[in-house]
Amino acid sequence: MAGMSPTMAFVDGRPRLRIRFRDIAARWGAVVALLALWWALSHSGMFTPFMLPTPERVATRMWDDALAGDLPLNVALTLYRALAGFVIAAVLGVLIGAAMSRGGIIGWFFDPIVSVGFPMPKIAFLPVIVLWLGFYDVSKISMVVFDAIFPVITGTMLGIKSVEKELIWSARSLGTGESEIWPRIVLPAAMPQMFTGLQVSLPIAMIVAVVAEMLMGGYGMGGAMVQASRMADSPGVFAGIVEIAVVGWFLVKGMASLRRRLLAWHPEADTPSGV
Amino acid sequence: MTQIVIDKVRHMYRPARGRPVLALEDVSLEVGEQEFVALLGPSGCGKSTLLYLMGGFLPIESGTISVNGKAITGPGPDRGIVFQHFALFPWKTVLQNVLYGLERQNMPRDEREARARKFIDLVGLHGFEDNYPSQLSGGMKQRAAIARTLAVDPGILLMDEPFGALDAQTRALMQSELLGIWRASPKTVIFVTHDVQEAVYLAQRVVVMSARPGRVKAIIDTNFDKTAPDLLRSQKFGDMVDHIWGLVKEEAIKAQMGRAT
Amino acid sequence: MSAAALGKVFLRYLPLALLALAWEACARFELVSSSALPSLTKVAAAWWDLAKSGDLVENGAASLWRAGAGLAIAIVVGAVLGIGMATWRAADVALGPLVDMFYPLPKSALIPVTALWLGFGDGSKILLIAMGCMLPVTLGAYNGARSSERTLIWSARSLGASRLRMLRDVIVPSAMPEMLSGIRTALAISFVLLVASELIVARAGLGYLIGFLGSNGTYDSMFAVVLTVAFLGFVADRIYLLIMRRALAWRE
Repeated sequence: MAGMSPTMAFVDGRPRLRIRFRDIAARWGAVVALLALWWALSHSGMFTPFMLPTPERVATRMWDDALAGDLPLNVALTLYRALAGFVIAAVLGVLIGAAMSRGGIIGWFFDPIVSVGFPMPKIAFLPVIVLWLGFYDVSKISMVVFDAIFPVITGTMLGIKSVEKELIWSARSLGTGESEIWPRIVLPAAMPQMFTGLQVSLPIAMIVAVVAEMLMGGYGMGGAMVQASRMADSPGVFAGIVEIAVVGWFLVKGMASLRRRLLAWHPEADTPSGV
Repeated sequence: MTQIVIDKVRHMYRPARGRPVLALEDVSLEVGEQEFVALLGPSGCGKSTLLYLMGGFLPIESGTISVNGKAITGPGPDRGIVFQHFALFPWKTVLQNVLYGLERQNMPRDEREARARKFIDLVGLHGFEDNYPSQLSGGMKQRAAIARTLAVDPGILLMDEPFGALDAQTRALMQSELLGIWRASPKTVIFVTHDVQEAVYLAQRVVVMSARPGRVKAIIDTNFDKTAPDLLRSQKFGDMVDHIWGLVKEEAIKAQMGRAT
Repeated sequence: MSAAALGKVFLRYLPLALLALAWEACARFELVSSSALPSLTKVAAAWWDLAKSGDLVENGAASLWRAGAGLAIAIVVGAVLGIGMATWRAADVALGPLVDMFYPLPKSALIPVTALWLGFGDGSKILLIAMGCMLPVTLGAYNGARSSERTLIWSARSLGASRLRMLRDVIVPSAMPEMLSGIRTALAISFVLLVASELIVARAGLGYLIGFLGSNGTYDSMFAVVLTVAFLGFVADRIYLLIMRRALAWRE
């Protein structure tokens, strides 16, 4: 977990040199070691090629899919569904969360819905959504929104509610007009928690998009994996997991670096998010 | 009789990121048995680092520190420590905190229970045995931490700005109570502080340290009769504080300048 | 509970009751087709039939066993891994980059792989949940253990605790708050993976039952099971929260 602050050096108290270069080397070393282990296990005869295809076969498979155009299409479709759902969830979630933070009738109405809805396994509603909206993108994106919106709502609400009174008072006494308080003071101050909500919600959007594709079939990375699995095409399944892992990694790391850039002033700009 | 010998200790502080900093340079000091010594200096002068080295919490890279003739190699119950922010185990009650050190010594259950309660009473926490630290005020937390350390009966008491996080009234009260406890059963005390008045009031000797890298700048004998009722307003006390304050102020200015560049 | 408190609870959850009423009204007055939205009373009746026939209990037990076993493995392995990495530098160097690499993996991608390895039965679901839920626990334990204050560690050592003792008495309790919230995340993931994998590849379990009833067109029964799963997930989270609060009572 390089890059997340130094190890607990004080446990044994010995001083040590820490060089960033080493962290980078360790990271690539781990990737290489994992590939080597995969290669060795798949060639050792301990597993059948069906249980664990060789990395060469999986790589060839990915290359063929890329040339045939299936890989870019599947990645694009899954990303489109996950990100469209995520953006809708983000916009709606911030609006609902901000409205709820002011209490009133909106706060009253949504409060029990959010507190019951957040911990619920919403994925169980997938067949219901298919029943209502059919097998097309609308239903997949709706499912993503339904699942990804809750962390955004809670993050926004908590973020706004925890803005300190003194901060708003100082802004007013320094001459900030009432109409400027929200955009200039409240939203920036609530930003760290709002962003944490978004950081939790993005991986959920990916998970749900993949599950929805798996259940409904068709194009998309999830659909391709389930198809491969049904046809006992194990290189296809492993190619799928590698592709999804890479896409997920870039999304999560992208959000983290966006946070570092946007929230450089915040001491927790570096902290990893949940889920 | 000399109990602690610090001989030419030098220490580099190595932050996780950034350049190593020389925290202590060629520090030598001797402390006698049952002596009360204050380490005084501006923040960042390495006085706490020196205390942690004596505690055996940080590795000694250069020079030696010995206690009763033996070089120290790690922490041990012969040197009890009290931290500025109490360092009570937050998941244990006051009683469980005080019992902790006694449990490590394999003392029979009844005996350690009685001993823990005795020390809780001594620091005035009777009735709060079953409270968690989060339920106590700052002063009460520090009382609990002191009881926890005293209960294992260390020959040496290391105190790292123990009253630095308390309000002025509580601090004054705790100072006189600490002095009372020390007079009733004397121990060697190394007391780190940046409060000149506190140092002069409590200690028999005050060691003034220089700005980073920390060195021993001056050692002042403050062992005069402190039992007078209005000691703090007496001429002698005031002069002593003024004199030491002058020494510390030079270093504090140097430390500020050093930070600015 | 006093009448005033009861009134407060009623007022708080009134919006949910209103939603339920709106649902019933929509279905009764045929605002939407009754096959797409069976009325709540019909769903309740279908739930009662499912419960009586034993379908609900049988499949529910299968699901809970899978989730429970998978989570138990994830918690034990995850906690040991996280605390081990936080305290033993070699483990951190060797495994840290791997944890960092696999943590962002959308866990649902594991469903076809575990099915490939262990088939459609309990084993593949347990492995799936164990793999998918392990890393949040690991990360919680790791971050928690690393946030142990050094003065607490030093206090324990100077009060005579051995290194092993210090690990048990200081590092593990320090890791507890973050580890417990990691486990809460894992609990939520376990339900998602359970239901998703049962919907996609299974021959038993509540997710399977939902899919089966849906493809049969018995939508009132399907809604009954969907609501049951949602309710179970919600209750599991609330029970876990209660346990967590008790375990962390010292924080106040």
